[in-house]
Amino acid sequence: MVREVAESCVDTMLMEMVAMYSGRFYANKPELAARRIEAIGYQVGHQLSERYTMERPRFSDHLEAIKFICKDFWSEVFKKQIDNLKTNHRGTFVLQDNKFRWLSRVSVEPSPEKETEDPSTPGESKAAQAVSMYLYFPCGIIRGVLSNLGIPCAVSADISSLPTCSFVIRVKA
Amino acid sequence: MIVCVAVVGHQNNPLYIQSFTEADDALKLHHIVHCSLDVIDERVNNPKKSGTTLNEAFLGLLYPTLNYKVYGYLTNTKVKFIMVTTDLDVRDTDVRSFFRKFHAAYVDAVSNPFHVPGKKITSRTFGESVGNIVRSYTFN
Amino acid sequence: MANYLAQFQTIKHSCDRVVAAVEDVCDLWPTVKGLFEEHQPLKRAFLTNKTRNPVLVENLPVEFILTTDARLRSRFPQEQYLFWFREPYATIVLVTCEDLDEFKNILKPRLKLIVQNDEREWFIVFVSKAHPSNDQATKSVKKVYAKLEVDFSSKKRERCCKLDIHGPDTNFWEDLELKITECIRNTLDRRVQFYEDEIRKLSEQRFMPIWNFCNFFILKESLAFIFEMAHLHEDALREYDELELCYLETVNMPGKQREFGGFDSEDDQAALLKPGFKPLTQIVQDDSFREFDFRQYLFACQSRLLFKLNRPFEVSSRGYSFVISFAKALTLHESVLPFCMREVWVITACLALLEATASNHHDGVVAPDVDKEFYRLQGDLYSLSRIKFMRLGYLIGYGTDIERSPLNSACLSMLPWPKPAVWPSLPPDASSEVLEKEKTILQATSRTKHFGIQRKALPLEPSVLLRVANRRRASLSTGNLPEMFDGRQGFNEGSGLEASPRTPSSLKAPPMSRTNSSPGNFESPLDRPMRLAEIFVAAEHALRLTISDHDLLKTLSSIQDFETKYLNLTKGAAENYHRSWWKRHGVVLDGEIAAVCFKHEKYDLAANSYEKVCALYAGEGWQDLLAEVLPNLAECQKILNDQAGYMSSCVRLLSLDKGLFSSKERQAFQSEVVNIAHSEIKNPVPLDVSSLITFSGNTGPPLQLCDGDPGNLSVTVWSGFPDDITLDSLSLTLVATSNTDEGGQALKSSAATVLKPGRNTITFALPPQKPGSYVLGVVTGQIGRLRFRSHNFSKGGPADSDDFMSYEKPTRPILKVSKPRALVDLAAAVSSALLINEAQWIGIIVRPINYSLKGAILHVDTGPGLKIEDSYGIEMERYMETDSDAGASTAETSVEDSPDSPERDSEVLQLSDGKIVFSEWASTVSSILWVPVRALSEKLPRGSSSVTPLKQDILEGMRTVALKLEFGVHHNQIFERTIAAHFTDPFDVTTRVANKCNGGTLVLQVMLHSLVKANLIVQDAWLDLQDGFVHGKSDGRPTSTFFPLVVSPGSRAAVVFSISLEKTMSSGKDLQLQESILNIKYEIHGDRAAGAHKPVDADQSGADTERRDLVFKSAIVLQRPVLDPCLTVGFLPLPSDGLRVGKLITMQWRVERLKDLKGSEAVDQQHDEVLYEVNANSENWMVAGRKRGFVSLSEEQGSRVVISILCVPLVAGYVRPPQLGLPEVEEANVSSNPPGPHLVCVLPPLLSSSYCVPVKL
Repeated sequence: MVREVAESCVDTMLMEMVAMYSGRFYANKPELAARRIEAIGYQVGHQLSERYTMERPRFSDHLEAIKFICKDFWSEVFKKQIDNLKTNHRGTFVLQDNKFRWLSRVSVEPSPEKETEDPSTPGESKAAQAVSMYLYFPCGIIRGVLSNLGIPCAVSADISSLPTCSFVIRVKA
Repeated sequence: MIVCVAVVGHQNNPLYIQSFTEADDALKLHHIVHCSLDVIDERVNNPKKSGTTLNEAFLGLLYPTLNYKVYGYLTNTKVKFIMVTTDLDVRDTDVRSFFRKFHAAYVDAVSNPFHVPGKKITSRTFGESVGNIVRSYTFN
Repeated sequence: MANYLAQFQTIKHSCDRVVAAVEDVCDLWPTVKGLFEEHQPLKRAFLTNKTRNPVLVENLPVEFILTTDARLRSRFPQEQYLFWFREPYATIVLVTCEDLDEFKNILKPRLKLIVQNDEREWFIVFVSKAHPSNDQATKSVKKVYAKLEVDFSSKKRERCCKLDIHGPDTNFWEDLELKITECIRNTLDRRVQFYEDEIRKLSEQRFMPIWNFCNFFILKESLAFIFEMAHLHEDALREYDELELCYLETVNMPGKQREFGGFDSEDDQAALLKPGFKPLTQIVQDDSFREFDFRQYLFACQSRLLFKLNRPFEVSSRGYSFVISFAKALTLHESVLPFCMREVWVITACLALLEATASNHHDGVVAPDVDKEFYRLQGDLYSLSRIKFMRLGYLIGYGTDIERSPLNSACLSMLPWPKPAVWPSLPPDASSEVLEKEKTILQATSRTKHFGIQRKALPLEPSVLLRVANRRRASLSTGNLPEMFDGRQGFNEGSGLEASPRTPSSLKAPPMSRTNSSPGNFESPLDRPMRLAEIFVAAEHALRLTISDHDLLKTLSSIQDFETKYLNLTKGAAENYHRSWWKRHGVVLDGEIAAVCFKHEKYDLAANSYEKVCALYAGEGWQDLLAEVLPNLAECQKILNDQAGYMSSCVRLLSLDKGLFSSKERQAFQSEVVNIAHSEIKNPVPLDVSSLITFSGNTGPPLQLCDGDPGNLSVTVWSGFPDDITLDSLSLTLVATSNTDEGGQALKSSAATVLKPGRNTITFALPPQKPGSYVLGVVTGQIGRLRFRSHNFSKGGPADSDDFMSYEKPTRPILKVSKPRALVDLAAAVSSALLINEAQWIGIIVRPINYSLKGAILHVDTGPGLKIEDSYGIEMERYMETDSDAGASTAETSVEDSPDSPERDSEVLQLSDGKIVFSEWASTVSSILWVPVRALSEKLPRGSSSVTPLKQDILEGMRTVALKLEFGVHHNQIFERTIAAHFTDPFDVTTRVANKCNGGTLVLQVMLHSLVKANLIVQDAWLDLQDGFVHGKSDGRPTSTFFPLVVSPGSRAAVVFSISLEKTMSSGKDLQLQESILNIKYEIHGDRAAGAHKPVDADQSGADTERRDLVFKSAIVLQRPVLDPCLTVGFLPLPSDGLRVGKLITMQWRVERLKDLKGSEAVDQQHDEVLYEVNANSENWMVAGRKRGFVSLSEEQGSRVVISILCVPLVAGYVRPPQLGLPEVEEANVSSNPPGPHLVCVLPPLLSSSYCVPVKL
């Protein structure tokens, strides 16, 4: 049976969650808030992976699993595939989504060009941090999926230019 | 008839095991299921022998015994489904579809946000749906 | 065709090697035979296999047979192609000749004749007997051989070779081998080709009625045999496989009822490895092959080839599946076979396979995983035979000795009963044996499990034997269908198999002769059902008839033999599984071994094995199975007196799922633990009860403590014990989150604690901790002599309800100790001065800084010159915090509030030896303490003349109170502070003579400057004059109508007295009373919150009506005017432009001698010199010149001098100028002008001008 959730609901939920954890529960310790959000994502991914890997042969290696995430999983969750996958064949994978759905409505107020280069400028870094808060959830999801597929890993995301977003997966040897 | 179905977690820990015999001798079925893990491990660990069925979830007949048949099914998430039947001639296609339904039921169960992964499945709905699936499959 | 079978068989056995025929033309064979024989087998023969690929066969044996030999003669040609494999593969023509003519005329034609038959593969061996020394002979031999070659060899094939018997040439033998090989290869090819064509023809007409399997079989097997003879085992094996395939198809072909076989003696012993076990003729009857024998025969041939190919692994793997499928076949025909034929056959088959393969298998020759696979198969074979063997044992009544473990139950209860058409019935003369069995049955008491665990024993039988046996007996007689049906209910009635349609439900009873299982079952009465013992005995007899193998019979003859065999099989299975992938199987079987060891009281062995089993189950969380084994382990440990192990087993049992044991059993576990704990433990190792006792901090925020405070830490402890359990001690370690390296120190709970099942809250007394935050560490404790520890931190719930993401969370700190900080503040309530020498309230504000002062004690220690009026209580009241310097307003509010605010925040405390104990209400609010004190000072205040400004020193009225506050739970917190209080007189008095009336009356103005922050009301004032002064007309009091005179805080008032000089008094007469005393009777209206106030007692009696007035005394000095001046000092007027701040001016005084001092008493040695001194208020003036010095003044009357001093005014306004005094001259003799102190006006500085700043002198 297919159950669909209105995308707007998901967006709102995500926003609320971030607001809740980084704004109220752990207002003064963002790293803790990040941890919790990531953990929630982990559980979601863990459970989604059960459903979306049904009806498909087992993956013989890491690359297959990653490809599954890029193609099927991503289009299940975001109705589009990852646009670009890179790997160093030593356990590091970079998944790039040129228009990451959950960032499509996020915008950072433009700051002078010269500032954009160096992240140390307060305004820039604050904006970046605010956005990155929204990325712990998808990171957690990816980690959840992979660990449920038996691939322990660490996932981080970076946003070079919105709404492009790339997730970096480092498989734990 | 199917006498026992089981779900075994990726650490070979029992997540759900249900026998369908009148007598309270479930232990022996526990034993059968537990030992059949040996076969699954063997098949998965040296793919050479399991050959073509390497990546298919359905592992087929695990035991060629005289008395009962044990079938196995291994998901991508290293969760194992095991089914013990006393029917003599069983068509693989039936078993496949059985496992597919079983798997679906399992996925629904673990998608419950209140289910803690790696813990025993206690959902009553899951139990009922499994019961129905089992009842709907009496091979031959 | 079938009649050839016998012949075929014999021929096959007779010849086993490739045959080469020798055509001995010139009787050479006897001489060369030896040489030939010793040069076979052929070292390296290149043959082509069935798929036309060259194969290298090594050491191919060849048999040389003379063509004249009987074996090669006398063959009917039509047989040939049947038995072609025995026909020669090569024909060697042996010739010799030394004379060319002889060769041409005689030998050559013969040879031509011989070799013309092209069927055969032939070549010529030319033997030369010529001795090398005899070169004549050799020469001719050479010629002849050359001719021979010319005649018989063609360019495409070389058919000649030459053997020099005396010659050294060795390469002949290679030549020979090549030639023979070539011949064999060609022949082989031709024959294989032929056979294949034949076979193809046959298999094309497979499904025609005329088709005959026998022909097919003979062709196939001949082909196989050819391959085998040529050592092409692979191909031979393939032939047999195809043969088997084809056979099974024909067998399974419906229609013709074929005989199965298996009724011959010793058929119960599997012959699946003995090809020659039965002659084929016996297997085949009117061209139908008996399945029972033939399939075994085929397998035997296959396994023989496999062994030759050195593939024992394949033998066992094929063997296992063969056994399984063959057993199925046996099941189909079970009803006609002897009783338990199938079981017996399977046992023997497995054992045979095991023996054969084990002897042929050598580790390491194959890939390791193949090895593992092999051992797994061995294990399978062992356990299969084990199962069957157990079944037999059960049937004859050894069931009581079979452990009812899940394993055995699984195999036995899912294995259907044997289904003979007729169940064996009791032989007539068996009554004694029956009695025996009866006894054993009665004796057999099922061992009660340890801890009195009650379990329904697992079944070892698919359905009740009694019923099955009787029903099958009765099934001959018509009727009792209901029993038939109720037998079909439920799975473990074995209906799973009965339901399968293949079971021939309508098998007619076979003739008695065949089923020797039930001799004379007609004699036995049908109506009476057999008793169990009878069934056992009957089965035993039947088995004796079935089993031909004496060893097997022996193993079943007695319980002991049965057990040894059972143990062997189990061990075999276990060992082999251990060497394979299937560890679990191995371990579980170890458990079975353990059970037997246990029965034979080899408890240490049993314990070891049980350990392994438990570890297996526990490791993967199969609690149900664990619950089955663990009690056994525990029992072993108990018997072995391994207390530590036993304990931990009990704890493990307790920590299993609650549902697995009844509460009674769990209580038994606990009581065991407690008993041992209180008994003598030789070496008490700490017991880990993490699974059983878990702990967590209470929900809610962590306990907050200030630095140095002790506290009470209450912790939730979950007990998994079924009953209350008494812990003789319980302690808990706290670990500082900052530094985890140190273990943190342990908190001991005070007394023995009793843990209820489930949640307990335990409070620990917490000594002062270092600042930082702490988490729970380990709980350790003692039950009797048993030390236990638990490091399982349960998150506020039972141990099992943990979050799978728990590693994501930091463990919640349970205790936070804050850094040292101010907890309380003590301050003086009033900054303004209080009345000295009067009982006054001194206020102390106690301000707790969010810290409770419950039961605090204040030590009050007054400094010198201050004493506490302990006649009055000390008042304490709530202090209204208001913004800083609104002293007055504070006063009002507090004054008003104190009455109407609830009484509990104002009360009177008693001071007991310098200590005050705070009361409850004051613990949190900030409060003010009013302490009645009296500052003492003896000295009388003196009024100052207005000439010299008043200088009161601050320290004069300063008094200190040392305060020490002890507070905190155990008065561990100390706060010390010394507060200063300022005391003073009500007034500061200054006097001046306001006016000099004629008649010598002086108006003395007394100015009162209030020093307190309170209204002073002067009721009365009088003056006690010093000598030389008398009051004016009045009584020395000012006009009373002015009184009462109110002096408000800080303001001044003046009282005027009229006094006059005492005429009568002569100068020079000395004065008694040096100074006069000003008395002021006044009362004070003040508020203690602001400063000075009514003395305490007056304050006590609040009524104003009878007021007790205070009296203030102050001394003043009056000075008589100058009567007969001899010197006069005149202050010369200042320059007209006046004085300016910072501007130098010269002050001048003129000193004039009015009369000479002759005769006057006040004279000293230098009459013409006068000492002067200028004194000025250093705050107002800076004096530049000499302040003190001598000026010369001649003695005669009227001599004068001017003293001028340079000085700078420092402040603007009306100030007193500097004064010139003559210290050496009595004041009475100096008249000054102006007479009293006067003021001059100093203008402020010009803006531009800079000026000096005052310097302290």
